[in-house]
Amino acid sequence: MPVLVLSADLWRALALALWAAVLLRSSVDGRLDLLLRSAFHPQVAAAGGLLFALATLQLGVALAGRRVDSRREAPMALLTAVIAGLLLALPPNPSFADLASQRPGDDTASDTLSFVLPPAQRSLTDWVRLLRSQPDPHLYDGDPVRISGFVLPTPNGQPQLARLLVRCCLADATPVGLPVRWPAGALPTADRWLAIEGRLEREGEGLVVVPARITPIPRPLRPLEP
Amino acid sequence: MPIDLSTRLSTAWALFQGLLLEAVPFLLIGVLIAALARWFSPGGAWLRRLPGHPIAGPLSGAALGFALPACECGNVPVARRMLVAGAPLGTALGFLFAAPVLNPIVIASTWAAFPDQPWLLLARPLGAVLVALALALLLQLLPEAELLRPDLLEERRLNQPLAQVGLLERRSGFVGLPAAAPTGLPEASGPPAPAPGWREVLRHAGREFLQLAVLLVAGCAVAALVQTLLPRQWLLAVGGAPTLSILALMALSLVISVCSSVDAFLALGFAAQVTPGSLLAFLLLGPVIDLKLVGLLGLLFRPRGLVLATTGAGLAVLLIGQWVNLWRL
Repeated sequence: MPVLVLSADLWRALALALWAAVLLRSSVDGRLDLLLRSAFHPQVAAAGGLLFALATLQLGVALAGRRVDSRREAPMALLTAVIAGLLLALPPNPSFADLASQRPGDDTASDTLSFVLPPAQRSLTDWVRLLRSQPDPHLYDGDPVRISGFVLPTPNGQPQLARLLVRCCLADATPVGLPVRWPAGALPTADRWLAIEGRLEREGEGLVVVPARITPIPRPLRPLEP
Repeated sequence: MPIDLSTRLSTAWALFQGLLLEAVPFLLIGVLIAALARWFSPGGAWLRRLPGHPIAGPLSGAALGFALPACECGNVPVARRMLVAGAPLGTALGFLFAAPVLNPIVIASTWAAFPDQPWLLLARPLGAVLVALALALLLQLLPEAELLRPDLLEERRLNQPLAQVGLLERRSGFVGLPAAAPTGLPEASGPPAPAPGWREVLRHAGREFLQLAVLLVAGCAVAALVQTLLPRQWLLAVGGAPTLSILALMALSLVISVCSSVDAFLALGFAAQVTPGSLLAFLLLGPVIDLKLVGLLGLLFRPRGLVLATTGAGLAVLLIGQWVNLWRL
């Protein structure tokens, strides 16, 4: 096959360029928003730039230098190129409900919150943190809520509306959720993203979101929360 | 909740990409630092002058971690470069095992994640040094030929003084001449090895990055699959039991496979549910060995050395965790 007689330098330059493309494309196509916390995005982009420079220099070497036997190195470069190609071709599409079902709920200790938004402006995560910080349900009975999240099935059969908290990458994502009193006979399917407007009501020892309006929404561009 | 296989595989694919994209920049930093070291100090003569004392060697290797702001993936190519250049074995091992914790970024991230637990800020670096020291002493019980991979050993012997290596152990090169200078005979005063050209350094760095990337991909794939198939609740269910919690968190650190620069933030998520000893064990074992690292470490060690390192690290971390639980519980 004629492609296999490419010099090792050229194979290497090609593979490095593909890896640079993986990192650079991930930095611009929103993929990182689904995989990593935003604090780590610049290092991925910087590594992509460095790899691109490395690939360009290797290409210069390959075009200018003498041909080197590629029998030993070509298969490895080809393998890495295939992996990089797969990464480019198959973007991630995780099931948040599946991921959350494998993880215990977030239990980060937070004694007090220094700043609290008005009820209707609180996100789902804000509500979970506030309820953990000051768990007395009487304080919030009747408060308006406007939250969004994905549907997370629970063992008791009543799905919650949930979000994933991420400190580093998807590997450490842990779910936080609020119980919802779903309309009778209309349990939503897992993983579906919904926006809910309604009120908090006491139910037993805890609180439950009583929706006035439920709107299906697409998955947000930045679905992970810090 | 019944989950079909395609959904699960789709989640594992995303987890794999998350782990890989987080680790690749650190791998690249390590490869570039190793390449720069090869360019500026081709013979690595200063590395051979590092102390070879059984205790001082690993300690000086660990201290070198402050100069390398990378995690364990980046440390492997640098440690390989040290071994190839003929650095004392204990020093290189001390660097390999302790530097992923003893570096400014990891210490800063530990402090950022646990500002209210100052004992952890002291115990983590101290524990990392103890584990590295124990592993360096343990692995040096094996002869180098049984510990290191044959190709690495061959390169290393070319750079070691003949006082340390027998003539018959060198399989190529000129006697008394560094491997990087295969032409001409050495002068009586022993001239420094000529610097390799930038093209050669570039070739080497590209080759090394791709070689390590394949192993990193394999490690991340295994870690992502195991994480997707094994419910994490099972590992955290024993959070309150002193010994079981340490073993469970050690298993978790093997499986999760995130870099040492971010694992403290990850540990924050379950710190309240587990014993302090197990928390420290999680932060100590992950930087030394995890599923993602097995392939990378396989570039340095023979399988026997790898098994010994894993077992030794597990035992040392378990002992430290037990002691911390006795002290803090």
